[in-house]
Amino acid sequence: MKFIVLNKNLKDGLRAIERIAEENSNLPILKNFLIESFENKIKLAATNLELGIISFISGKIIENGGLTIPLNLFNSIINNLQVERINLELTKNNKLSIKTDNYQAEIQGIKKEEFPIIPKIKNDEFYLKIQNSELKNILSLIVGAAAQENRPELNGILLDYQTTLLKLAATDTFRLSEKTIFNTQFESNIDKNFKIIIPLKTIQEVIRGLQFNEEGKTAIFFDANQILFKTENTEIISRLINGEYPDYQQIIPKNFETEISLNKDELIGALKLAGVFTDQLNEIKFIIKEGAKNIEVFSFNQSLGENRYLIPAKIKGAAAEVAFNWRFLLDGIKNLASENVFIGLNGSAKPALINSLKDSSWFYVLMPIKG
Amino acid sequence: MNSEQLWETTLSELELQISRANFLTWLKNSRLLEKKDGGEVLIGLANNFAKEWVENKYHKMIFEILKNHDDSVKKIEYTVVGSKISFSEKNFSENKERQPTLPEFKVDPETGLHPRYVLNSFVVGSSNELAYAASLAVVKNVGSKYNPLFIYGGTGLGKTHLIQAIGNEIKKIYKNKVKVKYVHCEKFVNEVVSGIRNKRMEDIKDRYRSIDVLIIDDIQFIGGKERSEEEFFHTFNVLHENNKQIIISSDRPPASLPTLHERLRSRFEGGMAADITYPDFETRMAIIKTKLAEIKGDLPDNICQIIASRVQRNIREIEGILNKILFYGETKRIGLDSKTVEEIIDNTIKRVDKKVTPNQIIGAVANFFEVLPEDISNHSRRKKVIEPRQISIFLLREILGMSYPDIGEKIGKRDHTTAIHSYEKILRETNKNQPLNQKIALIKELIYENQ
Repeated sequence: MKFIVLNKNLKDGLRAIERIAEENSNLPILKNFLIESFENKIKLAATNLELGIISFISGKIIENGGLTIPLNLFNSIINNLQVERINLELTKNNKLSIKTDNYQAEIQGIKKEEFPIIPKIKNDEFYLKIQNSELKNILSLIVGAAAQENRPELNGILLDYQTTLLKLAATDTFRLSEKTIFNTQFESNIDKNFKIIIPLKTIQEVIRGLQFNEEGKTAIFFDANQILFKTENTEIISRLINGEYPDYQQIIPKNFETEISLNKDELIGALKLAGVFTDQLNEIKFIIKEGAKNIEVFSFNQSLGENRYLIPAKIKGAAAEVAFNWRFLLDGIKNLASENVFIGLNGSAKPALINSLKDSSWFYVLMPIKG
Repeated sequence: MNSEQLWETTLSELELQISRANFLTWLKNSRLLEKKDGGEVLIGLANNFAKEWVENKYHKMIFEILKNHDDSVKKIEYTVVGSKISFSEKNFSENKERQPTLPEFKVDPETGLHPRYVLNSFVVGSSNELAYAASLAVVKNVGSKYNPLFIYGGTGLGKTHLIQAIGNEIKKIYKNKVKVKYVHCEKFVNEVVSGIRNKRMEDIKDRYRSIDVLIIDDIQFIGGKERSEEEFFHTFNVLHENNKQIIISSDRPPASLPTLHERLRSRFEGGMAADITYPDFETRMAIIKTKLAEIKGDLPDNICQIIASRVQRNIREIEGILNKILFYGETKRIGLDSKTVEEIIDNTIKRVDKKVTPNQIIGAVANFFEVLPEDISNHSRRKKVIEPRQISIFLLREILGMSYPDIGEKIGKRDHTTAIHSYEKILRETNKNQPLNQKIALIKELIYENQ
């Protein structure tokens, strides 16, 4: 293996894979990544055995071949090199030599045959295609509600495909977020309905990858237990979660005792301010008076003090006092694009519903904190 | 050699040929899923990475070893059988108690019934056949046959299962014509409390009085909550007068609900009271089989027998133990022997009898009979303390194996002959007196609960 690559291209490629190479006491090679040159492409790949990421970059290939090297070490070197062009070469005894005009290093690697083979998806015929920035926005909007650790099937997001529309949902049993997109926003040649659960970590990597790659489209392929997200230069392949996603339709409240509509940014500001006075429980309280022109966001902490914030709002229905975890609320709305939000309440013990006023394709259901 | 042994042998040979790290990473949790007649063998691996790796690197090795031991093997296929073990089950949040979760996804919000409780999965034995028969009668003649139906029995014996199953069955048969509502007593009390606070009692009254079948679980919790009791009393009357079915469960018979008002108690006794007692061995076996079918697990008969003979008192525990044993079998991939199963059971039923102190026993008895612990050990001869005292003596002997002189000393410096007399009296009684047995069982539960 021997090639010359532009520093910037190499950095872009590394950024796509860097977060999943990690220490593994059983299989130390997992902290390495695979670097391989063939024909006119350079391939970088890393995996944690739950998901694998492959990124392709361009360079001038002089000799084909490959090697695995510790990702952290390599990353530290490349990040500190200021030059434009870097020469990489596989030398004897599985060593990688890094050369620029005025710098030279040799890294001990492990031969590429030892590296796990990243699985392929057998189906390359049926796909789902979504514009990159669109996909990123949708996933960021709902991912906050997914469970970090909990029941395995909630440790991911649901993709519910119904030919003319696509629903994505996440819940950790305290809250639930669902977004619907219609077939004007995606392309697909699949004519059967299906539901799959994609691991949270995979979704986070997809979002991260799309941040630097807003143009173009992502093609999604899958088979019985794997999913592949494929953009122009990156492939993220992951296992799917076995299990049945809970049927959440019936917990979505439809009627409300109190209806509030208010400016989203103002609400976010109020939540952050009120949050200053909360402890681990993150409890803040909405105080809504009948016929008032604003709602009061109140928080109180015995050792810190208290504060009140008034947000102008349109209020319909009964007075209410409802406590929430402000972080949960913020998770729900922080990635929302719309200017105003609607909050529907049914007293202090039943789930509240939040959506954006104009757009009914998204909603967030949140359980209040017991008063 | 059966396929399980064949695979175990293969694995142990493979372990010698490849590094430990590789073995653990790629072959842990693997199993031989199927051996077809044509000599094709299907191997299940933990994930797709393992599948790729084994297929590409170890296939030849595995094939040779398998063929060595079983020359009918012609071909090997690999597949992925997801493993469920990679998730830690840590507590999700420290403040779990105050941040409630969304309503259970599966519970029907209209009726409050959980669909998993159905009559079909309720295993009937001599311990519960009366309760079951009464339940069937209620399903057939809603509101007219046995009203109210009062079901009582100890924890984890299937009261909730049975009464929810009645609700589900009624819902299934009568569709939307009959309005069913299941509510746990504690929830009812909470609703009344918040109704009083928000001055919305009228709503609650209306809501409960428009129901056709009202199912209340664990009614004993209403005792002592006067306003709730009164509200329930009136609701009960309205429903009963209008021939609406009422189904109630409790951990003890109406007569032993100490804090309940007389008028309510007599109403509970007016219908049909059926008890659920501890299931016998055969019923427990049947329950284990049913549960296994439900969770699609499989265990050899001898292991089921161990579980059935060891876990006698609580069916819910059987469920937990089954899950544990299945999980253990899945992760360790070694054949389950009776010793491991016994160990798992021991670890689960943490009834370490030594931890119980004499004072705990006396306290629990006093608590049950609503007398003061001092009354038990003083010299009063009032009737209401005599039975508690005798039961205390009986339990001190039975649970702790204390000597009669020690018991006498503990119960107010009495003579050891008093202790002997009391112990033998209760022992005789327990052979024929069912209500007394019930009381003792409940007291034991109290003792272990408070540990």
